[in-house]
Amino acid sequence: MITNPNAYDLIIAILNAIGVYNIILGFFQDQGMEYVLRIIIVLVEVAVVVVFALVTVMFLSWLERKMFAVVQSRYGPMVTGPRGLFQPIADGIKLLGKEDIIPAKADRWIFTLAPFIVFVSVLLVFIPLPFGESLILSDLRVGLLYIIAISAITPVSILLAGWASNNKYSLMGAIRAVAQDISYTIPLAITAIAVVVFVGSLSTVDIVNAQQGYWFGFIPKWFIFLQPLGFILFLIACIAEMGRIPFDFQESEQELVAGFFTEYSGMKFAMFFLAEYAHLFAVSGIIVTIFLGGWTGPAIPLIPIQITSLIYFMIKTYAVIFFAMWLRDTVPRVRIDQLLHLGWKIMIPLALLNLLFAAFLVTFVVTAGVR
Amino acid sequence: METETLLLNMGPVHPSTHGVLRFKLRMDGEIIRDCQIVVGYLHRGTEKFGEMKTYLQFIPYTDRLDYIAAMPNNYAYVKAVEELAGIEVPQRAEYIRVLVMELNRVINHLVFMGSLLLDLGASTMIMYGFRERENALQLYESLCGARMTFNYIRPGGVREDLPDGFIPKLNEFIKDMEKRIVDYEELVNGNEIFLMRMKNIGVINAEEAINYGMTGPSMRGSGVDHDIRKLEPYSIYQDLDFKACMRREGDSYARYLVRVDEIRESLHILKQIVDKLPKGNTINQRYGFAPNTGAPSAVTSYFPRIFTPAEGEVYSRIEAPKGELGFFVASDGTTKPYRVKIRSPSFCNLVALPKMVLGLKIPDLIAAFGTIDIVLGDVDR
Amino acid sequence: MIGIIKGLIVTMKHILKIGNRKTVTVQYPYERMKVAPRFRGRHAVDEDACIGCGICETTCPNSTITIVKYGTRWFPEFNLGMCLFCGLCVDACPMNALKMTGDYELADYSRESLIYGPERILFKKEVSK
Repeated sequence: MITNPNAYDLIIAILNAIGVYNIILGFFQDQGMEYVLRIIIVLVEVAVVVVFALVTVMFLSWLERKMFAVVQSRYGPMVTGPRGLFQPIADGIKLLGKEDIIPAKADRWIFTLAPFIVFVSVLLVFIPLPFGESLILSDLRVGLLYIIAISAITPVSILLAGWASNNKYSLMGAIRAVAQDISYTIPLAITAIAVVVFVGSLSTVDIVNAQQGYWFGFIPKWFIFLQPLGFILFLIACIAEMGRIPFDFQESEQELVAGFFTEYSGMKFAMFFLAEYAHLFAVSGIIVTIFLGGWTGPAIPLIPIQITSLIYFMIKTYAVIFFAMWLRDTVPRVRIDQLLHLGWKIMIPLALLNLLFAAFLVTFVVTAGVR
Repeated sequence: METETLLLNMGPVHPSTHGVLRFKLRMDGEIIRDCQIVVGYLHRGTEKFGEMKTYLQFIPYTDRLDYIAAMPNNYAYVKAVEELAGIEVPQRAEYIRVLVMELNRVINHLVFMGSLLLDLGASTMIMYGFRERENALQLYESLCGARMTFNYIRPGGVREDLPDGFIPKLNEFIKDMEKRIVDYEELVNGNEIFLMRMKNIGVINAEEAINYGMTGPSMRGSGVDHDIRKLEPYSIYQDLDFKACMRREGDSYARYLVRVDEIRESLHILKQIVDKLPKGNTINQRYGFAPNTGAPSAVTSYFPRIFTPAEGEVYSRIEAPKGELGFFVASDGTTKPYRVKIRSPSFCNLVALPKMVLGLKIPDLIAAFGTIDIVLGDVDR
Repeated sequence: MIGIIKGLIVTMKHILKIGNRKTVTVQYPYERMKVAPRFRGRHAVDEDACIGCGICETTCPNSTITIVKYGTRWFPEFNLGMCLFCGLCVDACPMNALKMTGDYELADYSRESLIYGPERILFKKEVSK
C-alpha cells in the first residue's frame, strides 16, 4: 500500500529544498541519534497544530459574536483591537484571572480532569484532518473510523463533568449530551460509510483524492453530488455532534442554566469553551473532507499546490462554519425527545437507505467512474 | 428497575423564569410529575403603598407593576380614581390615553415574542423586537420624558399634550412595524422547529381557562371570546373598529398567534386614532393636575395636588396587554385611599401553568411559561 | 424545512443589510443618543425663582426631597438614590423653578454622593432682554 505524503514528508522536502536537511541529518547521525530529529520534527508539527487550533478558536469565537451581532442589527465587539478582533484575548485574560471554584461536594479529581479530556479529545481529531495536499499530521489508514471513535470520547468527559459537579442541572445536561451523542454517532457513521463504499478506503487523504477531477468537465467530483441525502444527514448529525443550536442540549441555557458546565469557572470553563470551537472547526473540516472535495480545487500556476490546497480547504471549511453560525442565529432549539425521535426513527433509516443507494450506485452505475 | 423522582428547584435564579419566579418540580427523568409555583421574591408591597400615598403619589408606583407595559397600569388606576371621584376627561385626553396604551400593547407583544423565542433558544428575535421597541420608547420619551416608568396619565387627563412631530414619527413607526412584522412571521411562524416546540404543548381548554381565572391573550388562545375592550368598552373603545383576536386550539402556538394578531390590531387602532384625534384640552381644567409650564392655561390646572374623593369604593378593570388588570380602590373620604387592591393579569394567568405542564418535559415548561407572558413585578406586586 | 429556509433568508437579509435592516445600536460611551427635551433626568432648580416653599417636598411620593438652608435661603436637596424620577415635584412647583435635565449618568460610588444638594443643582436662568 502506498502511503500518502503527510506533513512530516513535507517538512523534510522543504528542508531539502533549502539544502539543510542533509546537514542536520548528518549532524544527528554522527551522534547516533536520528530518532531525536524525528521527534523534533513531530513536535514542531504538533506545536503548529495546537497553535493553529488556538488561533482558530479565538478567531471563531470572535466571528461567532460578530455574526450574531450583524444578524441582529448590532455591532458586536468593537473596542478591543480593530473591529474588536482581540476580544477573545481579553476574554481569555479575564477568565485566567477568575477564581477557580470547585464546589464543596464535587468530585475534585474528575471535576478537574474532565475539561482537559474534552479539549484533548477534540485536538486529537485534527490528526487525520487533511488541511491540504500533504498537509496532514498523519494519514491514518483508518482515518474516518479514528475520527468517529475519538469524537465518542467527548460525551464521556461531558458525563464525567456533569456527574462530578454534583449539580442536578449539570447531570441532566450530561445525560442529555450522552443520549444525543449515541443517537447521532450512528447516522454519522453510516453516512460516512456510504462514502467509504465509493472510495474503498477509510483514509481521509484517499477520500479527498477520490474527489479530484470533474464530471463532464465542470461538475467537481464531490460526494455531495453523488450523495445529496447523505450530505444533509451528515450535516445534521454533525451539528448535533457539535452540540450547537438547534441541538445544543448539553448546554440548553434556558432550561438547564448552563448544562454540564454550570459549576465551572475560570480556566476550566475556558477549556470547554476552547473545545467547543475547536470541535466546530474540526467537524466542519471533516464535512468538507468527506463531502465537499476537501482541499481539491482548480490549480493556480506558479503557486505550490500545498498553498492553494490549504486556501481551498479553509474557504470551504469557513463556508460550512458560516452555515452553522447562520443556522444558529435563525432557529430555536428542538426538544430532547424530538431530537432522539429524529435521530432514531428518521435519520438512521434514511442513512441506511442512503447506504443502500450508495452500494447500488457503486455496483451498477459508476463502477469505474469514481475510483 | 427501581427509580425515584428528582426534586428540581428551578429558580428563583434561573435564566428563563423571567425574573425571580421559582418552580418546585418533581421530575421523573425529564418528565414533570408535579409543579409548584413559589412567588413572592419580588414582593414590594405596592398595595400597601397605595394606602400610604395620596391618590396622585401612587401613580408612579403603578408604573412598576408591569414594567414592560406601564401605561395600562397608570390608566387602570387613574380610571378607578376617576370613577371614584366622578371626574370627566376631555375627549382629546381619552384619545391620547388609548394611543399610548395601544402603543404599549405593541411593545409588550414585541417583548413577548422576543423572550419566548429566547426561551426556545433562538436569540435573534429578541433583538429585532427590541429594535422596534426602541423606536416606540423614543416616542414615549419625547411624550412624557421617561421610557418605561411613564407617570403620564393623571386623573382628569394626561400630563402633557403630544409634542411637536409626534404624530409623523408615530406614523413612521406604524409603517415600519407593518413591514417588520412580515419579517417576524417569516422568521418564526413557519419554522418547523418552532412549530414542533409549540403545537399541542401546554394545552388548556376553554372551560379550564375560565375556571383558573385566566384572562387576556392567554385565555383568548383557548377560544374564549373575552376582551374587556369589547365587553365593557371603556374610554373611546366603542368608537374604534377592532376585533378581539381569538384562536381555538388552546396550545402554546395559539397563544403566540393571538399576540401576533394583536400587534396588527393595535397598529390598526393606532392608525384610526391618528385620523380621529380631536383638538382641545388634554386635562380636565377643574380637577386636573398638569405641569405648570408657564402658559396661562396651565397655571389654573395646577390646583388639586391633593384631592379627596367622597367615601366609596370602586373596582375598575381594563384589558391590559397581559389580561384583565383591575384596581379596587376604596376611599374613606381622606386624601389617601383606604385600600388599593390590584388584580394583576400575570398572577392570575400564572396559576394555570401547573395544569398546562403536568406530564410534559422541562423544555415544554419553558415554552408554555413563555407563552403565558408574565412579568414578575406584576405577579408579586 | 421550508419554514427554516424562510427564516434563513430573513437573517441573510440582515447580514447583507438589504432593505431597511441596518445596524441600529449605538457605541454607547463613545457616542450617545440625544435625549428628548422632556427627558426626566437629574433635577435642576432655578436659583432666582425658587422660594423654598416645600411643596415639592410634600408632593414627592418617596421622600426624596428635603428643604435645606444654603447660604441665606432655603432650597430643596434631592436624594437621587431614592428618586423615582416621576416628575411630580416639577409639576407641583408653584414658581416653575424646578426642572429635570437630560443628565442621566448618575451612577456613583457611595450613597452620600447621590444626595444632590443645592450646590450641585442650582442654575441661573438667563434673562432674555
